[in-house]
Amino acid sequence: MSLPLVEIKNLSLKYGNYKALKNINISFFPGKCVVICGPSGSGKSSLLRCVNKLEEFDNGDVIFDGQSLKSAKNISQIRSNIGMVFQHFELYPHLSVLNNITLAPIQVKGLSKKDANFNAMKLLERVGIDDQANKYPAELSGGQQQRAAISRALALEPKLMLFDEPTSALDPEMISEVLKVMRDLADNGMSMLVVTHEMGFAKDVADEVVFMDEGKIIERSSSKSFFENPKSERAKEFINKVLLKI
Amino acid sequence: MNYEFNWSMLLEEPYIDWIKEGLLNTVQLSLMAWFIALTIGILIGSIRMMKSPVLRFIGTFYVEIFRNIPLLVQLFIWFFVFPLLLPDDLMRAWNSLDGVPFLTALIGLSLFTAARVAEQIRSGITSIPKGQFNAAFSTGLNTFQTYRFIVIPYAFRIMIPAISSEFLTIFKNSALTLTIGVAEITAAATYIESDTFRGIEAYSVASLSYMFTTASVVIFMTWLENFLRIPGLIGKK
Ligand SMILES: Nc1ncnc2c1ncn2[C@@H]1O[C@H](COP(=O)(O)OP(=O)(O)OP(=O)(O)O)[C@@H](O)[C@H]1O
Ligand SMILES: [Mg+2]
Repeated sequence: MSLPLVEIKNLSLKYGNYKALKNINISFFPGKCVVICGPSGSGKSSLLRCVNKLEEFDNGDVIFDGQSLKSAKNISQIRSNIGMVFQHFELYPHLSVLNNITLAPIQVKGLSKKDANFNAMKLLERVGIDDQANKYPAELSGGQQQRAAISRALALEPKLMLFDEPTSALDPEMISEVLKVMRDLADNGMSMLVVTHEMGFAKDVADEVVFMDEGKIIERSSSKSFFENPKSERAKEFINKVLLKI
Repeated sequence: MNYEFNWSMLLEEPYIDWIKEGLLNTVQLSLMAWFIALTIGILIGSIRMMKSPVLRFIGTFYVEIFRNIPLLVQLFIWFFVFPLLLPDDLMRAWNSLDGVPFLTALIGLSLFTAARVAEQIRSGITSIPKGQFNAAFSTGLNTFQTYRFIVIPYAFRIMIPAISSEFLTIFKNSALTLTIGVAEITAAATYIESDTFRGIEAYSVASLSYMFTTASVVIFMTWLENFLRIPGLIGKK
């Protein structure tokens, strides 16, 4: 087996006095698509943000691609190898779609504007919105915005993609266009950590499912066995709730 | 009232020259002070948002000092006290400069306005969603780049109305610099008045000058606001 891409060791996170993550230990391997699910407030977003150190750890460490995030001298350099996609897209409203995508490649990787534009257009083509390149985010539909945001994350050629409920803010008819892009990424071997309530995606695309509750990891299974045969009571309850909506 | 107006005397030598010089000084002083105030204000406003307690303290200290001492007192301090605090040779060099009153006024007006701009910028930055920072950081932009490319341009657009009104204030505040001997337009009016005893005409020119410059600023800032307006957001043309 290959070396883990992400190793989370004894990780704890506090917001003030509130313990959002409690001693998390887990590893993720390259080329895998892992879905993280769990009830609201269970710490899924917090865990994702820790993987690129958008939060200060209370305790423990995250090792990304062999580098400790806790003691990292150049965290920006490490972050540029990890793409992140947000529930509310978080495109920069004052920049065109194209400039949203090329900003980091030009500023962080030192690409020329010409090369960055060329790569960005290829990505936009891949996600099917190359005709929107010169528009501003607020002029796009939600689904188009999220596909633009995915392109922005991909533009740095990351080794890992983090998705935090990428379809939760979308109208139903736009969810599938974003899921299709994600499925395409997974099929092409991208390493992905995906927080989502889309159980269809978890079943069909994910290799594994991690179930969280109250700041802890309750179980980790192959996606098949998670749905057919969940180990914990809480996961069973959760699956019934989201799948059968009872 | 038994007063014979004589508007044409304003066009006579030397008064017309005084008016021209006064206008030029007012506009020059205000524009230069505005440019410096904006630069320092953005810097200080950003510093107050940093994680480092030292930086934050410096920012807060600056704002509290410069915002809470009346501008007139600050001008006097820069003019009368500051040179005395310089080492001897620096003080001599300072005093031998051309236009010490103008330079002093520029420093005083800039630093005072910068504190007010800093507060505007800070509240603009506070209103930017945390997700924008996370998005920028997640692509590997460092703090400086995030502020330069995302936070400041975004905050600046939100703050344009407030910043315009600071811009108007700087013109009006520049009148105070006559107290340290800057020959700006209000000072020109007082010279003309004492030379001719024609106060109405003299101060009318000064008032009209302020109204005219203020109107120009409003037109410019409205244009800028439209120019920077983000397509697709509310109020788009
Ligand atoms: N910035 C913050 N400050 C204080 N508390 C926070 C902050 N962010 C999250 N929390 C708290 O930490 C806990 C975990 O939050 P988190 O957002 O990670 O949960 P989640 O599993 O992503 O939930 P959801 O499904 O609703 O997105 C919650 O109780 C939340 O209220
Ligand atoms: Mg969340």
